[in-house]
Amino acid sequence: MKRTGITRREVLATMAAGAAAGVFSNAGAARAAVSEMVWATWDSNGHPEYVTGFEKEAGVKVKLSYLSSEDAQFAALKTGAAADWDMVNPSLNGSWRYIKAGLLKELDLSKIPNASLMYDVFKTTPKVMDDAGKTFAIPYLWGLNPIVYRKDKFDKEPDYTTLFDAKYSGQLAMRDYALESIAIAGLVLGVPRDKVFVMDAKELAEAKKLLITQKPLLRTYWQTIGDLTNLFATGEVSCAFSWRVPFDELQGKMPMGMAKPKAGVMGWCDCFAMPATLSAEKAEVGYKFINYLLGPTYSTDVAKIGHYATTSSVIRDKLSVEEQSTIFIDDMDVMKSFMWPVAPPNYSDWLKIWNEVKAS
Amino acid sequence: MRLTLHRAHLALPVALVLILGCLLPLLLLIAFSVFTVDMDAFEMVPDFSLANWAQMLTNPVFAFLIGKAVLSGLITALIAAVLGYPLALSIANLPIAWKGIAQILLLTPLYTGEIVRIYAWRVVLGSEGLINAVLEGLGLVDEPVKLLLFSPFTTHLVLLYNTLPFMVLPIWISAELIDRRLIEAARDLGARPFEAFTRVVFPLTIPGLGVGLLAVFALSAGDMLTPSMLGGTSGATPMAMIDNLFGTAFDWPLASVLALSLLITLFATASSIGFLLLRFKGARAVLQGGLK
Repeated sequence: MKRTGITRREVLATMAAGAAAGVFSNAGAARAAVSEMVWATWDSNGHPEYVTGFEKEAGVKVKLSYLSSEDAQFAALKTGAAADWDMVNPSLNGSWRYIKAGLLKELDLSKIPNASLMYDVFKTTPKVMDDAGKTFAIPYLWGLNPIVYRKDKFDKEPDYTTLFDAKYSGQLAMRDYALESIAIAGLVLGVPRDKVFVMDAKELAEAKKLLITQKPLLRTYWQTIGDLTNLFATGEVSCAFSWRVPFDELQGKMPMGMAKPKAGVMGWCDCFAMPATLSAEKAEVGYKFINYLLGPTYSTDVAKIGHYATTSSVIRDKLSVEEQSTIFIDDMDVMKSFMWPVAPPNYSDWLKIWNEVKAS
Repeated sequence: MRLTLHRAHLALPVALVLILGCLLPLLLLIAFSVFTVDMDAFEMVPDFSLANWAQMLTNPVFAFLIGKAVLSGLITALIAAVLGYPLALSIANLPIAWKGIAQILLLTPLYTGEIVRIYAWRVVLGSEGLINAVLEGLGLVDEPVKLLLFSPFTTHLVLLYNTLPFMVLPIWISAELIDRRLIEAARDLGARPFEAFTRVVFPLTIPGLGVGLLAVFALSAGDMLTPSMLGGTSGATPMAMIDNLFGTAFDWPLASVLALSLLITLFATASSIGFLLLRFKGARAVLQGGLK
């Protein structure tokens, strides 16, 4: 006969087990409550091997949820579609809109000891704070977007003016991205790098004119970094405003160069943040995780495997000069010419200008 | 009361899903188009503002992008019709075994993903690509022909390649359905082959041609990836702008206005094509089940 109920013995056993659990597990209650954290991040930032150290250390499984785009991340948080995300990855440039929209939890820096090891430029950035100076995100990974070029086709290291030089017509490419392309035109026109993302209407009109004159010189506008790498590999393009990927991928196959223009180097930086609605228990684990991201294990792995630098100086002196150079931390002066692309509040106008350029 | 189930009723569930799937997003777009955005709170405010519609009507870049998409769709559809029509008739006249092979070959472009096709075209048309290598090898050109890749020519060539099956298949089916006795009767009554074609075959294949034209037009006018990755600096599309406005710019109202304007224009153009085709007696005869 099939049993449909439970016996008295089972009831007693269950009660005893419950009592024992109550007595013996209080000390580890917080840890027992959180067995898994979901980290929404880019696949390049969150290889499974990068987080195994933390999993062993904290006894918490880190489930990786890879992002498709920053816009998709923002939309998911805004619409509540990201209910299972415990840790998110806003960009330094875009953090302000998450903060303004009230999507992020305020952070207690005293719970992140490794934050003191961050380079000053990241430690003091106001981009992760609200108007009252409260911190909502921690920059943890960064890099530069240089000009990548074929050394055999250029006599000297290119700068932004090279991208507008008729001498190189048909060999140049720009990213199909209003923000960076218009800003580069602004820099060429002489707008200072700290003003270039808040250009007034007159400056924007001048930038538009310059970009229209540039258009016939370009081979194409590139869409993805894989696309641009392919354009370099197939000889279509010899010089482009880029990410470092084509340089890394094609070095050894062709003479590739990478230039960091003095007018201003566009940087990218990813931040760690937690959704505003995250529980206090999970937030405690989140603090441990960002501390891990700024610590030696993650910094070493991501530098040696992914060729990216964390914002923490923790391992800098332990790397060879070559390894430092690969991740742009051999010459710290580069940080003096950083500029962080920020979508301005009138970004719709920038988009219209960009489409007018492309439609010209 | 006795409810009789007609064949048309079987389409009701799918029709309902299609109507709901189209209507709901459309209603949302209409509502969003008159809203405003509070950029401080990143919220859409349910106001009633016609500012975005005014912008649509006054800023020529929007009209340019929409017009470009329509023109691109029309050019591709017309070329596909000119090339696809004789191809479809030829396939209809093949022995049955060859028809199977023709069908497989015809659908080849659709077996691979769009990105794969795009990179394959770059290999064929690029400066160091196949065609330029042959041209240089034969001594026909001294330098690679740059115009082959990243130009409006490339965009339309690839759109044509991608959409040709959608033109050929419906015309082929229309041609297969023609009662051969009608052609024989025309010939018996003294019509020459060309006359039999223009008076019998062509009118009766117009419904297939119409379906092909509308399908190719819609697919080409709405494509974003091919123009942006193969069209070079000429690859701007309204879809890319809508994507940007919905995304980084968080300007959903303006994006909705642009999306609705594009939809209205494409719908009007497609309706005009359909209206023109229905002026042909043959098309009406097929659709109505005989001349009336």
